[in-house]
Amino acid sequence: MLRYLLLTLAAASFLYPFIWMVSASLSSENGLSSLTLLPVEPTWSNYVNMFSKIPLGRAFLNSVLVAVVTTGLVLVSGAMAGYALARMRFRGRNLIFYLIIFTMTLPMQITLIPNYISMVKLGWVDTYFALIMPFVLNSLSILLFRQAFMGLPQALIDAARLDGCGELRIIFQILLPNILPTVLTITILTFMGLWNEALWPLIVIRDEPTMTMPQLVTLFSVGGRAEAQLGVKIAAAVMLALPIVVLYLFFQRHFIRSMASSGLKD
Amino acid sequence: MAGVRLEHLAKAYDKGPLVIRDVNIDIKDKEFVVLVGPSGCGKSTLLRMIAGLESITGGHLYIGDRRVNEVPASERDIAMVFQNYALYPHMTVFENMAFGLKLRGLPKEEIRQRVEKAARMLEIETLLDRRPKDMSGGQRQRVAIGRAIVRNPQVFLFDEPLSNLDAKLRGQTRIELQKLHRELNATMIYVTHDQVEAMTLGDRIVVLRNGDVMQQDTPLNLYNHPANQFVAGFIGSPPMNFLPGRICADGPLRFESRGGMLGIDLSEYPQAATLRAYQGKPVVLGIRAEHIRRRPGPNERRFFRRLVPVEAVENMGSETMVYFPLETQRFIARLSADYPIPADQPLDLFWDLGKLHFFDAETEVAIR
Repeated sequence: MLRYLLLTLAAASFLYPFIWMVSASLSSENGLSSLTLLPVEPTWSNYVNMFSKIPLGRAFLNSVLVAVVTTGLVLVSGAMAGYALARMRFRGRNLIFYLIIFTMTLPMQITLIPNYISMVKLGWVDTYFALIMPFVLNSLSILLFRQAFMGLPQALIDAARLDGCGELRIIFQILLPNILPTVLTITILTFMGLWNEALWPLIVIRDEPTMTMPQLVTLFSVGGRAEAQLGVKIAAAVMLALPIVVLYLFFQRHFIRSMASSGLKD
Repeated sequence: MAGVRLEHLAKAYDKGPLVIRDVNIDIKDKEFVVLVGPSGCGKSTLLRMIAGLESITGGHLYIGDRRVNEVPASERDIAMVFQNYALYPHMTVFENMAFGLKLRGLPKEEIRQRVEKAARMLEIETLLDRRPKDMSGGQRQRVAIGRAIVRNPQVFLFDEPLSNLDAKLRGQTRIELQKLHRELNATMIYVTHDQVEAMTLGDRIVVLRNGDVMQQDTPLNLYNHPANQFVAGFIGSPPMNFLPGRICADGPLRFESRGGMLGIDLSEYPQAATLRAYQGKPVVLGIRAEHIRRRPGPNERRFFRRLVPVEAVENMGSETMVYFPLETQRFIARLSADYPIPADQPLDLFWDLGKLHFFDAETEVAIR
């Protein structure tokens, strides 16, 4: 009984701020000081104001474009690198693998400046390339793919080779369909990470039509364009969280498995 | 169809020692050859080299008249059945069987015809829409064989295909494989560690040990005339009984066991003249379990009689296995089950002298 009570309290402590945020975004400016879970003087005005002040639709499309394209590229590059590390024999294979694992221990802040300089030199500042390319090679996805490929029987690869498959067909037509949970895990983790990424876009994007949602919402909230209207800021935060929440409702089981298998969260 | 010729074939991984050494095998068109040997003898490696899944370090490999050392696996015109079936789990049986044909660009109609014909032959027509996980081990094995058949290859390769089946199903599938070989009239190379499979399936058996061919011959010749002690011990169940000793020829020709407990007069032994040359040298005597009997056959005059203490008796129904110690060895006799054998009394046994084998103790080569 006590266990359920504690779990209920814990669940409430996680849920309450989120529900309050949704409720507050639908309340009038006067009702924001209330801590109730129902909107006070319900109104859409915060959302109307927000959409009139910032190009959230464009930012949403930018975020979708960046997250989808990058996730796709992460899957392709991770699968290819993971396959090579798991199944191909070449000199220095283990060294490369350990180096990739080592990069996982480096916090992003360390590589922020070198990466920014690279973007400047490549002329990619204020382009989608700056939002996509630094994230295309993902050590976690390489690690997860390598482990998954190592778990598949060699005979599956041999049979495919005898059937006439080249390496790319073996990876994408024979092996990937048999490690779908891993593919989903990597997709979810990568997509979420990219969707929520605010720091890197703030550094490399200054051009508003290229901004992603987290960047725009952050700038909107702290940059003064919300004109100190808390309700409008909260509405923007709800819009930012909404796509991930919707995705979570559809892929709840896979989200949980992804978090459990990676042992990481943002 | 085509034959397969292995000439001085060798294999080493990276710069390590050779795991396959100077293997020469000439497999005739339509022949069923079994590669047999204990774990780690190199039989699967050899099969994978033929398949093109392992590179060849030295020697030449011919399929038909074509040297295929550098030809990729998919272009060698062979098909392989794997131990764990290696069916694509995400494809149906039909898709599994059709996949290789699709990649070759065959027309859809021909693919369908080939798959259905093979499915009929293997009686798996009703399984074509199922996925591998929804089938039993025996059914999966049939699909794996079907996938090989539809390719209509020059050579079929089997890598321990019955290992994952239970004993009953293994027996049934063995018979079906024999039937299949007759129907397809194809060249087949089959790898197994099970000498019963080797004896029952092969037109010819190649026995391997540590990457070397120890002997290649018909199953009966291997059984009756093993070229060395390894083959004698490996082929046959239970394995041949061995007793080390030496040949004494300073009077009547005799074998004396190393411990001196056993002396056998060999003056009646068929190859007595050859044995004389081994005067004083260490040899190993070998005799199969069924050549030790409770009483000599009606026309059998050449036998050695010995009273032995019985260590254990295994009544198999059709026969009785009797275990008895002889110096440091444990011998097995395969006797008729018609008479009960008490485990606690000595037993009078007759060794058929005409069936004795002798091996050079140093080289392990059979003395003939």
